[in-house]
Amino acid sequence: RAADGDMPDYSRKGADTCFQCHDDQAMLAVFRTKHARPDDPRSPFGHGQLQCEACHGPGDDHAGRVRRGQERPAIPAFASNSTTPVEDQNAYCVECHQADTGMAWHGSTHDVNTLSCSDCHTMHIERDPVLTTATQAEVCFGCHQQQRTQSMKPYAHPVRQGKMACTSCHNPHGDTTERLLARSNVNATCYDCHAEMRGPFLWEHAPVVEDCNGCHNPHGSNQPGMLSMRAPMLCQSCHSQAGHPSIPQDERGLPANVPSALLLGQSCMNCHDQVHGSNHPSGSKLMR
Amino acid sequence: AEVDTSEWACEACPFDDGYRAKVSAGATNVSDDAARFGNYTGYDEEGAYGNLDGYGRYNKDGYRLDYSMENLGLESRAFGLSIDSAGLFGLNFGYREIPFRRFDTTRTIFAQPTGDSHTLPSGWVAAGTTGAMTALASSLQPRLIGSDRQIIDFGGFYDPRNDFRFYADFRRQTKDGVDITSGSSYAQASHLPRFIDYETNTVDAGVQYRAETFSVTLALYGSFFSNKNLGLSWETPFTATPETSVLRMAQQPDNHFQQVSLSGKYLVNHWDTVVAFLAAVGQGEQDDALLPYTSNPDLGAALPSSSLNGKVDTLNYALTVTSRPLEKLRARFSYRYDERDNGTPVTAWSRVIVDLLDSGQPEPNAPYSYDRGHATTSVEYALRDDLRVSAGYEYRQMNRDLQEVAEQTTNEGWGQLRWQPVAWFDLRAKGGASTRGVDRYDTTVAVSLGQNPLMRKYNLAYRYREYGEVVASIMPLESPVSFSASVLFADDDYKESLLGLNGSEEFRATADVSWAVSDSAFVYLAYGRDSLDAHQAGSEQFGFWDWSAFHEDRFDHLGAGVSYRPTEGPLSLRVDYSRGNGDTKIEYDSLSGGRNSLPELESTLDSLRVEASYDFSERLAATFSLRYEKFELQDWALVSPAALPNVLTLGAQPYDYDVVAAGIGIRYRFGENEITLAE
Repeated sequence: RAADGDMPDYSRKGADTCFQCHDDQAMLAVFRTKHARPDDPRSPFGHGQLQCEACHGPGDDHAGRVRRGQERPAIPAFASNSTTPVEDQNAYCVECHQADTGMAWHGSTHDVNTLSCSDCHTMHIERDPVLTTATQAEVCFGCHQQQRTQSMKPYAHPVRQGKMACTSCHNPHGDTTERLLARSNVNATCYDCHAEMRGPFLWEHAPVVEDCNGCHNPHGSNQPGMLSMRAPMLCQSCHSQAGHPSIPQDERGLPANVPSALLLGQSCMNCHDQVHGSNHPSGSKLMR
Repeated sequence: AEVDTSEWACEACPFDDGYRAKVSAGATNVSDDAARFGNYTGYDEEGAYGNLDGYGRYNKDGYRLDYSMENLGLESRAFGLSIDSAGLFGLNFGYREIPFRRFDTTRTIFAQPTGDSHTLPSGWVAAGTTGAMTALASSLQPRLIGSDRQIIDFGGFYDPRNDFRFYADFRRQTKDGVDITSGSSYAQASHLPRFIDYETNTVDAGVQYRAETFSVTLALYGSFFSNKNLGLSWETPFTATPETSVLRMAQQPDNHFQQVSLSGKYLVNHWDTVVAFLAAVGQGEQDDALLPYTSNPDLGAALPSSSLNGKVDTLNYALTVTSRPLEKLRARFSYRYDERDNGTPVTAWSRVIVDLLDSGQPEPNAPYSYDRGHATTSVEYALRDDLRVSAGYEYRQMNRDLQEVAEQTTNEGWGQLRWQPVAWFDLRAKGGASTRGVDRYDTTVAVSLGQNPLMRKYNLAYRYREYGEVVASIMPLESPVSFSASVLFADDDYKESLLGLNGSEEFRATADVSWAVSDSAFVYLAYGRDSLDAHQAGSEQFGFWDWSAFHEDRFDHLGAGVSYRPTEGPLSLRVDYSRGNGDTKIEYDSLSGGRNSLPELESTLDSLRVEASYDFSERLAATFSLRYEKFELQDWALVSPAALPNVLTLGAQPYDYDVVAAGIGIRYRFGENEITLAE
C-alpha cells in the first residue's frame, strides 16, 4: 500500500514485529493463502511488500508500548461488525485487486449496499469457504436468508447438496446484467447447463423464449420441475381455448371420481409434452 | 509515512513449502434404496460405499500445484487440479459428476435400455383404455428415471504482469440417462422413458486490458449443443390403425450460439464516478434435420425444407454510472438493452394431426422476437451519519411481435431507509410500487389462437404491484450472540384480467440466531417461511368467467446446529438438523362443480447430519459421519399405470423413505501441517 504522509509509521520489522503477539494457528493460516507467496511480487508477502501491514495498515503505534490502563491503538480490522468503516476496509483490498475484481466491484450492487470484502471472504484460512462450491451457499445465505429457505424446498437446484454454487448463475462482484447474472439475461444463464432448451425451435412457446422465470422458480419450489404453480393452474393462467383448456380441474378429476388426464399424471403435459418448443413439423401444438 | 522495507526480513514467516495433503478414506453403509436420497449424492442404493476425499498442495520454486478430491467413490465425485506460477500463469482442470435420481418406483412396458425407439412387448394386447390392457400387469418392468451429468473443465490464464491478462476456459458437459416424456395420439397418451444423450461444449476466452483508471475486456463465448437422438418413436399400446401404430416425436435439436462482448469500467477522477459498460452481439443457429410430418406412409406431404435454418441474433448493451457528487449523496443510473431477433424463415407447414389427418390448413411457424430496455435511476442521501435515505425510479419497456401485446411499459418507484446507529446494528426498510401497462391487448391475435377474448396472459397483462421489505441484523462486537431477520411481501394485482391470473400475494420471513458459545463452539437456529397465494379465473362456457381457483403455497424451514472445533483437543463435531415442510392447497369454485378443494400436496423432509473426527495424533484421525433423511410426499398427481383410462403412466409413487447413511474412516495428513514460526 502506498505510503501516505498523514498515516502513522509502519513497524520497524514488519511481520516479525506482529508475530511477537499474533502467533496462533488461526492467524498464521494466512501463510497457506495466496496472500503469503514470497515469489509473487504482488503478494503482500512478496519481496519489498508491506507484509501484514499491507492490509492492516501501519502498525508502529499498535505495536508500540502502551501505559498500564491505556488502550492499545487499533489497526484496521476486517469484519462485518468492525469499527473500521467498510469503505476503508475495501480500499485496502481494492488497492491490489483493482485490476481484476476491483474494477467490477466499483459501483456494483454489493458495493452500493456497503458490503465489505470480508463479509464474504475469509482471508486467514487455507480454503476460503466462499470460493468452494460445496460451502459457498452457506456464506451467501448469511445475508440472503430468503433464498436459503427456497433452496430447502423439495424441488430445487443442488445447492443444498453442494453440487452447485450461487456463482453458477450470479456474479457477486458486479456486472451490468440484471440481478448480477453470469450471462446476458436469465435464459442465457440457464442455457449454460440447459442448452437443449435454447433452440430456436420450429414451434416456439412464446413466453419460454423470453424468460424461464415465467414458469420456473430457480431458487426452489414445492412443485415438480421447480414450477411456480401446479399444473394445470399454471397453464390455465394463460390458456383459455374452448374445450379442455377452459375446464376447471377440480376434485371431480381425482382417481376416486372420474380420473382426469387433464389433472393427473403430467396434467397438460400428458399430451403437450414439448412445452419448451418442438422441432417436429407436425408439432405446432407442442405435442410431439 | 515513508517506509523502508529492506530490513523486513520476515525471518519468522512460515511460508508454505513442499508437499502437504489431507486425505480421508472411509466406508459408508446406506440402509435402504431411495432414489431421492441418492439424488445429487450418489447414495441411491442400499449397501456399502467406499469413498475417498481430500486435498493437497505441492510448492516448489515458485510453482504451486493444488488438487482436491470429493466423493471419489460415489457417482457425485469431483476432482480438481490447478497449477500456477505466482500469479504469472495458471492452469486448471476439473472433473465432476452430478447424479440426478428422480424415480425408482417407475415401471413401463417399454423395456428398451437405450436408443431412439420403443417397441411393445411380445404378446401385447392393445386396447382402447388402460383398464382393458390385459397384458399390462405382466408386462410392466422396473425402469429407473434419472441421468448423470459429467462436467470436464479445462482452462488457464496468463498474466504477464503488465496491462494485459489473457484467459480461456473450455467446458464439456455430457448428460446421459433416462427422463420421462409423454407420447400422445389424439385422445390417448403413453408416458415413455426418453433416452438422453446430450453433449454441450462451451468456450469462454478473452483478453483484459487494465490501466490505472479503466479496464476493458474483449470476450468470446461459444456454446455448442448436440443430441445424439433426433427423435423418439414408440408403438402405441392403445388400439390404433396399422398406419398409426408407430408414432414419433422430435427431440431437442442440435444448436449452437456464439457471442462477442466488450465490457469495461472507467473510474472518473471526479465525484467518485464509475462508468461501466457492456456491448455484446450474439448469433444462434439451429439446423438439425427435421423428421417427416408423419410416420404414416399414406399421409404427409414433402417438407418445404429439410431443416429449419433457424437463426437468432442477440444484442445486449448496458451502461451503468454511479457517482457521489456530494459527500452525503450517491447517485446511480443504469440502462440495459436486450434484444432477441429471431430471423428463422417463416414457412407454411402442413401439419398431420396425430398421424391420421392432414390438417388441411397450412400453418406458418411463429419465430418470436423481442427487445426490452430497462432504465433505473436512484439516489441515496445520508441524512445523518447513522441514517440514509434512498429513492429510485425504474422504467422498463418490452416490445414483442406475433403476440397479443406489442408494447408493454412498466413504471416503478421505491424508497428505502437504512439506519445504522452503531456498527453492529443495521436496519433497512424498503417499499415500492410498480404499474405495468400495455399499449393494447390485441384480442384479434388471441382469437386467432383460439383464446377466449377475455383472457389476459399474466406475462402480458396489466399489473399493479406493491412490495415492501424489512431487514434487520444485530451483531454486537462484544457479544457472542447475533440476530438477523427479514420480512418481505409483494402483492400483484391484475386488475384488468377477467380471465387468467387475477392476483397473487407473496410473503417471506426469516429469522436467524447464532451464539458463539466459546472460541471453539458455535450454535445456530434458523427459520424461514415462504408463501405464495394466487387467484385465477376461467370460463368453461367460453364466455364470462364461471369458475375461480385459489392456489395457496407454503413452505417452512427450520434449521439448527452446533459446531465444536477446538484449536487444542482431539475431538471435533458438527451437527446440523433441518426440517422442511411444503404444503399446497388448491380450491375451486365453479358453476359446474361448486366449491371444492383438491387434497393437500404436502412434503416433509427431516434431515440430520453429524460429522465428527478424533485425532489420534497430529497426522492420523478417525472420522465418523451420519446422514439421516426422512422424506414423505403426498401428491395426488402421481398415479398407477392404469389409473387413467387414456394415459398409460409409469406409475411413479410419491416419495416415502427413511434412510440412514453411516460412515467411518480415517484421515491422514501428509507433510507439514502445523504452522510454526521459523526459528
